[in-house]
Amino acid sequence: MAHLHDLTLKSFHAGLLRKDFSALEIARDFFDYIDLHDKKIHAYLSLLKDEAVKQASEVDVALAKEGELGFLAGAPLAIKDNMLIDGTQTTAASKILENYTAAYDAAVIGKLKAEKAVFLGKTNLDEFAMGSSTENSAYGATINPYDESRVPGGSSGGSAAAVAANMALAALGSDTGGSVRQPAAFCGVVGLKPTYGAVSRHGLIAMASSLDQIGPITKTVEDAAILFQAIRGKDEFDSTSVNNAYEDILEPPELEKIRKLKIGIPKEYFTNDLESGVAEAVEQAIRNFKSLKIEFKEVSLPHTKYALSVYYIIMPAEVSTNLARFDGIRYARLKEAEKAKNLLEIYLEQKSRGFGAESKRRILLGTFVLSAGYYDAYYGKAQRVRRLIKNDFDSAFKEVDVILAPTTPDAAFKLGEKTADPLQMYLSDIFTIPASLTGLPAISIPVKKYSLADRELPVGFQLIGRPFREKDILDLGQFYEKIGS
Amino acid sequence: MLSKKDLENLAALARLRIDAKNEKKLIQDLEKILGHFNELKNVDTQNVEPMTGGTAFTNIFREDDAIGGGLDKTSALEQFPEKKDGFLKIPPVFSDKGGFVLDEE
Repeated sequence: MAHLHDLTLKSFHAGLLRKDFSALEIARDFFDYIDLHDKKIHAYLSLLKDEAVKQASEVDVALAKEGELGFLAGAPLAIKDNMLIDGTQTTAASKILENYTAAYDAAVIGKLKAEKAVFLGKTNLDEFAMGSSTENSAYGATINPYDESRVPGGSSGGSAAAVAANMALAALGSDTGGSVRQPAAFCGVVGLKPTYGAVSRHGLIAMASSLDQIGPITKTVEDAAILFQAIRGKDEFDSTSVNNAYEDILEPPELEKIRKLKIGIPKEYFTNDLESGVAEAVEQAIRNFKSLKIEFKEVSLPHTKYALSVYYIIMPAEVSTNLARFDGIRYARLKEAEKAKNLLEIYLEQKSRGFGAESKRRILLGTFVLSAGYYDAYYGKAQRVRRLIKNDFDSAFKEVDVILAPTTPDAAFKLGEKTADPLQMYLSDIFTIPASLTGLPAISIPVKKYSLADRELPVGFQLIGRPFREKDILDLGQFYEKIGS
Repeated sequence: MLSKKDLENLAALARLRIDAKNEKKLIQDLEKILGHFNELKNVDTQNVEPMTGGTAFTNIFREDDAIGGGLDKTSALEQFPEKKDGFLKIPPVFSDKGGFVLDEE
């Protein structure tokens, strides 16, 4: 089964058309491989074997009949367990949804079904996507495939670990403050957070609605482009989704064109917070880009240091509102809440027993910043500083086309290292949060052949683009992958 | 800055019960996080328009028609834990006892 390591979405598609293998063979190989390895890594919360076998067989039949199929036909994907697949259990890694079965498909799932993709299973996450290590899952942590003693990052840690450990060809994650990019960086894979509005959020269990965005986690930048192209687009069920001109997104990038792009280096990201090994790795990536004769310029994003505070006010405010719906009246009720004598008791039993510690902390924090007397000082203030952060990027994009920065201040940390101190955990998001607050597209790409001197751990860097210019960062990323390190 | 009473009030608003044994640590954690937010006081935000969402678009309209038919009744009902005769069943929201009281039946 060694071939699973070599497959990408692109080469799988080519192999399928060449009849090197059938979609069913590959799906079965993946399940065998998952059975062997996932006991240790725990990337998956549930597997969809019967459905996947059916989907893959249908692809083989269609291929025999039509001789041609779309890029994603038969491609075995992993889906973060906060996206709904009709008729399957969807938990968001929370005990509160342990009895919940989805009644419809998320918009992205509908699109992938139309492309005849195969869903291997649902992956682990921090409960309701709230965390940076996947340790907040009610069903146990996922571990980093590079080092069993370390976290895979979060919240899409299951999706990133599944791709990194060859237990899926590619995956979907969701990114609210870095939840696609940070685990991608920790697991040595590619993670794209599209522009806010590029992908429909319909059927994604809402965490913070002004920030949430679904994105691909893949082995290569080209694969990220393929998966992004399949899931993007306007959807009537998400009024913030838009149809933008992306016709050229899968066109092969041209060196002539990307040489016209100017890359900005924001000095505020290269501070003492950045671990020296990570800084060195990012410098290496910059040197690689310079070898392509791409122009660099230092830029300033002066409000960067406030992004963490702004995020941890706005996000919990939205969380406290969004999670209010899990009241035991809708979706599912816990056994413990069955004995409740009245409505208030159902609410109390359901929420107190169903939500984990981090969810409760964020609900309380959100309730606090939205409460009378504090609203202006916290929530109102944060919204204004969010605007200033956006203005910083707007000014920078007058001088440059793309911004390059580290994805994380450090490589994957130890399991349990930050669980006792929530603020320390939050600080691991400092470099991914700004692109989330501003809705900008950003991709994390592993630094080529780089691992920290003292530890065999991958390091990622980020390319942040102008709104709806995923093409710029995807093209640059594809060229980066082609050059020698 | 955050008292035990404040926490109890927040928990009541959020419909959460807080374990007594976690209370002290929770207050400490929240205070530390709220303390971090104090840095925002140094930022001059006079005449800055608040950014209220993830997009600059406003007033997205569409025809007030159901799209795609929606869920059928059976699968919609399955989204609720309690139902009776094809209806959703919920405890009374108001009662003459002035609060949340479940129908004894």
